Amino acid sequence: MRAFVISFVGLVALTLVAWAIRPGAGPAGKVPLVWVSDDNPARREQIALFNRLHPACDLSLDPDNNGMEKVIVQSVGGVGPDLFDCYSPFQLSSYVKAAVAWDLTDALVRAGVDVRRDVWDVAKAYVIYEGRVYGFPTNACTDALWFNKEIFDQSGIPYPRAPWTWEEFLPLAKRLTVREANGRIRHFGFSFDSWAWKFFLTQWGGHVYSEDGTRCLVDAPEAIAAVEFMHDLIYKHKVMPSPSEEEALAQQGGWGSSTIKFLGAGRLATAIGGRWWLCTLRNYEGLRLGAVESPHGPLRRYWSYARATLVNQSSPHRAEAVEFIRYLSGPEYNRLINQQADGLGPTARYATGENLVNPRFPDEDFHAVFRDVMAYGVPDETSPFVNAAVVDLILTKQLDLVRRDAKPPADAMRTAAQEIRREMAKTLQRDPALCVRYEALTGRGRP
Amino acid sequence: MRRARARTDAVAALAFLAPNFVGFLVFTAGPVLFSLVVSFSNWNLQRTLPFQWIGLENFRELFTDREFWFYFFNTLYMMLGVPVAIAGSLAAALLLSQKLRGMIVYRTLFYLPTFTAGVALMILWKSLYNPDFGPINAVLNACLHAVGLDSVEAPRWLGSMANLVGLHPEATGLTWKYWGLGARDALILMGVWTAIGGNNMLLYLAALSNVPQELHEAAQIDGAGKWATFRHVTWPQLAPTTFFIVIMSVIGGLQGGFEQARVLTQGGPAGITTTLAYYIYNKAFIEFQIGYASAVAWVLFMLIFAFTLVHWKLAAKELNY
Repeated sequence: MRAFVISFVGLVALTLVAWAIRPGAGPAGKVPLVWVSDDNPARREQIALFNRLHPACDLSLDPDNNGMEKVIVQSVGGVGPDLFDCYSPFQLSSYVKAAVAWDLTDALVRAGVDVRRDVWDVAKAYVIYEGRVYGFPTNACTDALWFNKEIFDQSGIPYPRAPWTWEEFLPLAKRLTVREANGRIRHFGFSFDSWAWKFFLTQWGGHVYSEDGTRCLVDAPEAIAAVEFMHDLIYKHKVMPSPSEEEALAQQGGWGSSTIKFLGAGRLATAIGGRWWLCTLRNYEGLRLGAVESPHGPLRRYWSYARATLVNQSSPHRAEAVEFIRYLSGPEYNRLINQQADGLGPTARYATGENLVNPRFPDEDFHAVFRDVMAYGVPDETSPFVNAAVVDLILTKQLDLVRRDAKPPADAMRTAAQEIRREMAKTLQRDPALCVRYEALTGRGRP
Repeated sequence: MRRARARTDAVAALAFLAPNFVGFLVFTAGPVLFSLVVSFSNWNLQRTLPFQWIGLENFRELFTDREFWFYFFNTLYMMLGVPVAIAGSLAAALLLSQKLRGMIVYRTLFYLPTFTAGVALMILWKSLYNPDFGPINAVLNACLHAVGLDSVEAPRWLGSMANLVGLHPEATGLTWKYWGLGARDALILMGVWTAIGGNNMLLYLAALSNVPQELHEAAQIDGAGKWATFRHVTWPQLAPTTFFIVIMSVIGGLQGGFEQARVLTQGGPAGITTTLAYYIYNKAFIEFQIGYASAVAWVLFMLIFAFTLVHWKLAAKELNY
């Protein structure tokens, strides 16, 4: 028993020592704020600027806990961050339904921030849910066509001009796809990230859901035509790498998508991508880039996206978190992010020529392109009647089969539509309140 | 006096055990039982649905869930490497039980993959599997070229949906188009490599050192060769260890595949490297269907338990302890 008492006292003493020397929450006298966001080269400067403008706060980045699952689980457990990022309207609805996102509508009115008036239209769905405001966008983006000027110059091809169509683009992309004598690719004419497939869906007039969200439309002829075109880019026109060829080109580590890296490494002549790609592409020595509005399909409109920051309902520092939200709407943050080129700043009126050009990169002559294409932006679609994470998994799988030439586009989209409808029926079966709402919209029972 | 001492010792023992026991109750037994309770509910972290007890609905749905069966098949397929890994561990242990100079260095080298960070190993393997620039395909292509088979293409490994049985990626049938080596096989090979020099090898090494020397001497006197000695003396003596290793490997195999899927393939291409462990993760933390994910986890537990029970019953007849 004496051994136990000695061990117990020893352990208690060690615990007290550990408690006494534990790291503090932040500099003395400052309010610590934790922001869960991705760790890209621009983020730290944005944080430093906030801390400089708000000396009473100590904002720090927590990139390790980025991801909706972690934020929700930690917040439900009472150890969530003060601020966290939201990457889609679906995520916003999830955070609201999980009672993690704090309703900022009144707080923002008091702080003099008007989301409906100030931000890009495409970004509103990322912060407004059922009429209430839950955050402020951190950036917004409509993709455009990046091109490698070096490859164009070597091929003797003049730089492209918009507006133009995919039919006009394809001969160019074929000329820009060059193979070595041994058959290995020197550079492809074109590529885009597979997750950006809605960029094509939108242009072909396709939709994931009907306007009221009650029907899944991914098997409509427009949607199938869009996916067929994407498939043809790889297997018919052969201007774009297949997934297998992409994996062969892939490098390890680093921040950003593989398509950015391929463009930076000179393995792509053109690529559909956002202005935020510059955060990575500026690090490639000697890379000469241009950008132009993307070629368009039957419709001249482009899928757009944004990122927003929300406040945790259970944060002990909500007042200071609102200060951060106010900072996101202000001129300092918008000038910084516009010059960093981490997308476009969320407040539309600050996207002026003066703010967009970074004096450290005087050769960049394309910033106005990304601002101007916002006028053709179309936001993401959601349906309250189905879990978008399940829909994403279903679509990702089917589109992967198409990209690998393992399934015809029409079959894949039909399978996806069937599975999404089944998922919708399951959700409605389990939720009587949602079912009532569905019946009110459709005038009939659940599917 | 003696009774008082015994009681004091018992109290001390219980006091020492208490922290661990409380930790076990709170952090292991509690969550396990909680997951069992939750599996009878529609609990959804997003709160898209009002919480309800739904009885066996999750289990009923699970048995008609095509994805569950497809991922169960994936899990079983990934376990094709288990016997190879066990045989490899035994072979490595036999080699490393020789009395040679520097044997400790060899043993350390073989054990290296076990204490190297899993994610680091996987990133290394990802480079090895690069179909155009990776060393594995470089060697394979050189071999194919040497035997005049230039037209035969080396596997595309992690990017390929090919497999040893030619199963269609959506499990709709068998076809020659998908026959070959693909992402699943790449993960199996990596797993075998890691497992050969791992804990199984150590267990076999320990077991080999416990085989009575006189049995080997008796076999030699009777004129038995090396193979006959191994077959009729060493192998039977290793049976209890093999039994334990098989059980643990199968349990590990049924629970496995999460790290590989998360780091190397994200469960793709088209879901063919998604195992039940990764499926549970997706259901719980991507789709937030905690109730359903718990049901899958309990069905997985029941499968493992049933296998262990059957194996125990069958093997118990053959084994003497």
